[in-house]
Amino acid sequence: MDVFILFTMVIGLMLIGVPIAVSLGLSSILFMLALSNTSLAAVAASLYNGMAGHYTLLAIPFFVLASSFMSTGGVARRIIRFSIALVGHLPGGLAIAGVFACMMFAALSGSSPATVVAIGTIVIAGMRQVGYTRDFAAGVIAVAGTLGILIPPSIVMVVYASATDVSVGRMFLAGVIPGLMAGFMLMLTIYVIARIKNLPKGDWLGWGEVWRSGRDAGFGLMLIVIILGGIYGGIFTPTEAAAVAAVYAFFIAFFVYRDMGPLARPEGERNLTLLDKPIALVTSFFHRDMRNTLFESGKLTVTLMFIIANALILKHVLTDEQIPQQIAGAMLAAGFGPIMFLVIVNVILLIGGQFMEPSGLIVIVAPLVFPIAMELGIDPIHLGIIMVVNMEIGMITPPVGLNLFVTSGVAGMPMMRVVRAALPFLAVLFVFLIMITYIPIISTWLPTMMMGPEILVR
Amino acid sequence: MSGHGRYEPRGMLGKAVHELEETVIAVLLGLMTLLTFINVIMRYVFNSMVIWGLEVVLVLFAWLVLFGMTYAFKVTANLGVDALISIVSPRARYVMALMAATACLIYALLIAKGAWDYWAPFAGLQQTTGKWFPTGFDASTRDRAFFETDQIPMLEWLRWLEDAINDGERYSKMPRMIPYIILPITAALMLLRIIQATIRIAKGEQQSMIVSHEVEEALEEIAQNRKGQV
Repeated sequence: MDVFILFTMVIGLMLIGVPIAVSLGLSSILFMLALSNTSLAAVAASLYNGMAGHYTLLAIPFFVLASSFMSTGGVARRIIRFSIALVGHLPGGLAIAGVFACMMFAALSGSSPATVVAIGTIVIAGMRQVGYTRDFAAGVIAVAGTLGILIPPSIVMVVYASATDVSVGRMFLAGVIPGLMAGFMLMLTIYVIARIKNLPKGDWLGWGEVWRSGRDAGFGLMLIVIILGGIYGGIFTPTEAAAVAAVYAFFIAFFVYRDMGPLARPEGERNLTLLDKPIALVTSFFHRDMRNTLFESGKLTVTLMFIIANALILKHVLTDEQIPQQIAGAMLAAGFGPIMFLVIVNVILLIGGQFMEPSGLIVIVAPLVFPIAMELGIDPIHLGIIMVVNMEIGMITPPVGLNLFVTSGVAGMPMMRVVRAALPFLAVLFVFLIMITYIPIISTWLPTMMMGPEILVR
Repeated sequence: MSGHGRYEPRGMLGKAVHELEETVIAVLLGLMTLLTFINVIMRYVFNSMVIWGLEVVLVLFAWLVLFGMTYAFKVTANLGVDALISIVSPRARYVMALMAATACLIYALLIAKGAWDYWAPFAGLQQTTGKWFPTGFDASTRDRAFFETDQIPMLEWLRWLEDAINDGERYSKMPRMIPYIILPITAALMLLRIIQATIRIAKGEQQSMIVSHEVEEALEEIAQNRKGQV
């Protein structure tokens, strides 16, 4: 009963327009003060320790920073060029290239709406020029953009890992096969549609173009190799990997791609090289672009972490009151098994994913759902991937999916048309969700093979 | 979507403060990244490390988020759910926004009391009494000014603290009151920013306490460009 009041309050506050972080924090504080003898000083301490006590979460600002350096239009354009060189000549080629570009960009940026903005602005316009309908283009990008949170490195996975004390490295690995699979399923669907509808295909530009564009995009894509290679090679912790990635991304953005910083020149002119202006090595650190990129990343980190820090207070309340254990007991007593439980989790996340930013949602739902799943014997990594895929779908489920909003903004068409356009691809993702939910080995095979069977500590 | 433009600072002082806040956020994040990176390099190239590196980075992280959230209240950057408030009548939206602002105010007041109560003993000051509201100062507060951080070295120019709060005893490491000082600062600033936002909402200059998602600004820009082309 108590838990019902608590969650009603959280949701009620959010609906009248209270920031998510405050809804979570205020409800938890009132609940704690009323029911236990916790002091407000302890609340303030846990707000501070939400950051200072969580080494894993420290990866978030660094990933955000790395992706800000890499989320410029220049990087998106290079990735798109490479994708077109590779798959543009297939039937429906530009659409398939769009999905492929989304997958790569997703790996760099780790955020779904950001992927739609960066890739969508370029690809949707390009697809319309060669004769695709605006609806088809928007549908493809809206759905492919959601891959951002599934393909590692992903901020949502870092949040899940720190909320449940699962290894970040394992979560990243677990996302690889499902991420590739989802992308492949989307591309296959486009291919089939293209064959039936006879959609335009591009020209094969030759291996030379593949090589040149691949080398150009490769500087950016190396980022993923550094992060994943560093973590699994045992060179860095995930947090350090993120920091190294941020520094690498800065270096590439300022000195190799030169889209920003002291060597950048206005559109059309040739950018300067380091040889033209060696002083740039020093001035870069004080350049306006540097300060702006740091600031934008800082701001995004703040809004995400403010929610997470408050959700951690909520987690305290849940743990203190043994609420998940009570629910698990009730479910087992009522004869519900793991399958029924996963269905319930699916439904909760599908609904929640429409309204909320994914990291915020996961940090609220995970502490409640995770202990129950453990009681029912569900693999924690598998659960994590299920939750991530659920949120992907939540983002493109009508009426209010986040990616639908963003796509409607990028493509300049009404929400309901985007919804209709995304529907066939949404169906593909649904099939994918069912596969992920009931075939655990898709998620658990790679991490188990690379890092050995996991040891569950209760 | 929630229909408010970018925050524009007013006046000379407003602009200076705005610039200062944004620069502080940028510098904190920059320092965190650099310190972490340097420690990785030190480990592999010089086979040593800055032992206080990690602790300082975590303190900066807490400062970044706590200070940053006061900025987020100022420019209305906090994420929220606009599903309901975007479909109700303007009148209902106004009432809801005022209710939301009130909820934020209550939150800020509770955090303010908590922040003071947590920080005060570390600075040799008294906590407040009362569970929900401060009802006075507690003379029996246990002094914790002697608590030091784990690894962070003491800074010379802070030595005056020893006489001021630590009965003249030498600090061998940075006392905890320094990293924790961000708590009362945050609480005070947050209260100020929320009161200002509430006034703007009451006057009808601002429509809500939230943005609906992280890329809202980028989308507004795209919409602007599109208008420009037509």
